[in-house]
Amino acid sequence: MVNVVVIALILFAVWTGWRVFRVDSMVRASFSLMLSFIAVGGVGVVLSMPYIGVATVFMMAVEMMAMAIFMVAFMMNPAGLNPMMMVHQHKFSVGAGVLAWLGLSTAVLSAELPSAPVTSEQRVVFDLGIELLGPSMLIFETAGVTLLATMVGAVILSSREGRYGHADHGSRPPGLAEGGDPAGRVPDEGGGHHHHHHGGH
Amino acid sequence: MIWLLLTVPVTLAVGVWLAATFDRLAPALWGARAGGPVAALRDGALLLRRQTVRTEAPDDLNRRLAPVVYLALAAIGLSVVPVTHAAPIESPVGIVIWGSCEALTIIAVFLHGWSPNAPFPLIGAYRYAAIALPVMLPSMFVLIAAALPAESLSVTAIVESQREVWNVVRQPLGLALFLLVGLTLTQRGPFDFADGADIAGGTSAEDSGAGRALWQLARLAMLTAFSAMAAALFLGGPLGPGLPGPVWLWLKTAAIMALTVLLGHGIARTTPGRMLTLLWIVALPVSFLHLAVSGGLALW
Amino acid sequence: MTLTIVLLGASALIGIGLYGALSQQSFVMLMMGLELMLNGAILAIIGFWSLGLAGMPEGQLLAIIVMAVMAVEMALGFALIVAVYRKRQADMTEALGTLKE
Repeated sequence: MVNVVVIALILFAVWTGWRVFRVDSMVRASFSLMLSFIAVGGVGVVLSMPYIGVATVFMMAVEMMAMAIFMVAFMMNPAGLNPMMMVHQHKFSVGAGVLAWLGLSTAVLSAELPSAPVTSEQRVVFDLGIELLGPSMLIFETAGVTLLATMVGAVILSSREGRYGHADHGSRPPGLAEGGDPAGRVPDEGGGHHHHHHGGH
Repeated sequence: MIWLLLTVPVTLAVGVWLAATFDRLAPALWGARAGGPVAALRDGALLLRRQTVRTEAPDDLNRRLAPVVYLALAAIGLSVVPVTHAAPIESPVGIVIWGSCEALTIIAVFLHGWSPNAPFPLIGAYRYAAIALPVMLPSMFVLIAAALPAESLSVTAIVESQREVWNVVRQPLGLALFLLVGLTLTQRGPFDFADGADIAGGTSAEDSGAGRALWQLARLAMLTAFSAMAAALFLGGPLGPGLPGPVWLWLKTAAIMALTVLLGHGIARTTPGRMLTLLWIVALPVSFLHLAVSGGLALW
Repeated sequence: MTLTIVLLGASALIGIGLYGALSQQSFVMLMMGLELMLNGAILAIIGFWSLGLAGMPEGQLLAIIVMAVMAVEMALGFALIVAVYRKRQADMTEALGTLKE
């Protein structure tokens, strides 16, 4: 019974994970990834890891909501009205993906896997709490400080105020001569699909 | 065991009717005409008779899924609330399950606005996501604080920890903040950025007929689930003298529901930008303070 | 037996994620590939912890660390996307070629 549920959830996780790169709608791609995470969280719940499983669902719901907003905000084809396949080095990537999958699967199949299942009388959530704030507190605190550094870094990176004015006004340095072209390198007209580098919004 | 599970649909059905009736009674507060207990049922039946409108190139799958997911989240959220000594879904991490339901609600509302492929619903969906995501932070602090005196993430244990004194006495700020969360989850009053009248009904602008009826039903069901959860976290849930547990839970749920409906009708909505500032500058630090104070009290 | 199935599923997720991270031109889609690989990692941790470690608490801790890594990746990734978009009005990896020469 447990096996059937686990297999079904894993198949669902892999299928939705695959759909992420195959659907044409940004929103569907994000929420397809979320479904993949929810299925993995479900495996966690079934395999007696309730806190991690449910917390994954919670965290991924928030993350993928933010992801969907960013996707729609930044990409030119949000609603999936056109086919969306924006890839580079495609064959190489397919090869690398298949190779990773086959390699890892071979490793799994050829290895001698341990067998020591969790017993049902273990208080796993309680154990996790004691571990987090006991023997492994230093690791847990390190994760906390890392997240703090991330917050600071994210705010600095995404701040609108730049050294030479607002970032969305170009934030370009002043010219070398009065009214001349800005100093520094001008990026080539190459990448991207928007070509209004000097456009003021 | 099976009767515990049966309480979920019964509570939801009665709760939805009660919430709809509260909504129709509220206008009496400022002297307008109030509807009676049958008005809600009549309005629902009228909605079901209307024809369904189809927009151009909608995301049909998500359009059908959104109300169903919303309703399912309300049912799951309700089923971790203990009815007597146990909850229909008894889990050591019940409160985290409720938190997940909260977070997934944002996605259900967003999809409801996204899927019709029309401007007003989309504006509603974006406004709602922008406001509801920061609301999740105070929500988590409130839930953690409520779990502190019980030293457990199980809602049953949290209820049990209130045998001496209710959490609303120990953590009055928690209930106030949790009511904000409830208003957000049910898209009411000051937090109704999804379905507001100022954008022609927002995510529901293109809804009609059975789809609209189901969406309104799901909103009221979420209000029921939220009220039951608030009653369990702050008012001791099924604990009480004399009457049996479920009756106490239902009475407390109805009280919280009336309070939420009152707040929803009584507080004006501000602009999304100002609300965002309020959430980040006021609600977040206050909830953090609340967590610190509750932690101190739990240790003391 | 279950452990083998779980690990095979995890390797499939990591394979798909690697494909996505290498092939997608859009930053956001690229990040989805990375997330999918971390999803595979979480699945493998869940499997090993539940079926091979007799429930050692450190295994759950590892899953929490992976989730923290995911949060860091998301936050910094989106911040970088915003920064690049402000500078170049672009959301594709090809837009960042000025350091090439």
